[in-house]
Amino acid sequence: MKKTLEIVWIVLALLTVFAFLLGYLKYINVFLVGILLVSTFIKALLVIDHFMGLKEVRLTYRIIPILWLSLTILLIATAYYLPVEAVR
Amino acid sequence: MSKPLAVKASYPPGDFAIWIIIYVELLTFALLFAGYAFSRRSDIEMFNASQLLLDQTSGFINTLLLITSSYFVVKAVQSIKNMTAESTKESSLAASRWLLSALVLAGGFLVVKLLDFVHVFGQGITLSTNKFFMFYIILTVFHFMHVLLGSFILFVIYQKTKAQGYTQNDHKGMETGASYWHMVDLLWIVLFPLIYIIR
Repeated sequence: MKKTLEIVWIVLALLTVFAFLLGYLKYINVFLVGILLVSTFIKALLVIDHFMGLKEVRLTYRIIPILWLSLTILLIATAYYLPVEAVR
Repeated sequence: MSKPLAVKASYPPGDFAIWIIIYVELLTFALLFAGYAFSRRSDIEMFNASQLLLDQTSGFINTLLLITSSYFVVKAVQSIKNMTAESTKESSLAASRWLLSALVLAGGFLVVKLLDFVHVFGQGITLSTNKFFMFYIILTVFHFMHVLLGSFILFVIYQKTKAQGYTQNDHKGMETGASYWHMVDLLWIVLFPLIYIIR
């Protein structure tokens, strides 16, 4: 029997532990911000596809939260990576 | 060998109106997330110093509580979807147990967050302390209100499930509430690293 939901939950929990450890150990640098944003993207995508059940729905409805997620992560990444002088 | 194409559902699970609400909520929070990230650029040192005053452990615990609660809700919906004419009572009982577990974790989230608020506000921090805390309070209090509403919705679904009010062919109300709850989880998944971790 497929255990997709259980695997999704484990991946979500592991990525959460990973993010917490990075924050706890204060190891965050520019490279790790990128890794954290990618891991956030993966976590959110898993929730959209498997918990919200949009993987089994026509692309029209699935694409809206995926676009939302991509744009949100992209905006956050831009704010973190764009040189500060560029907006001054 | 080619795989047979899976038939995709025409509409997302639950009532269509909830998806309009979900998309609007996502947009609102996206603006706040972007607002936080770009405001941070004006005073990175202040944002980083203020972030250190937060309790990362409570944010971490709350993330685990929400993703697990969301998982329990999916299991509840699955129990109803797999229901047969002979297993109405057992499936409803199983689904109500999953929902009750999800509710307990939702309660856990609210308690941990309230303690977090006591910790933050106990330090004399208000909306006008600085821009970091303005965003922290707006985002987390706004999200907290969504968890409160989501918990109430879960409770209503739980009561109806316990009374065997859902069947394999009629569980749209349950899916509607479940979709709202997953949105609450989705928002926290972005909020947690943004506010508590990334610096």
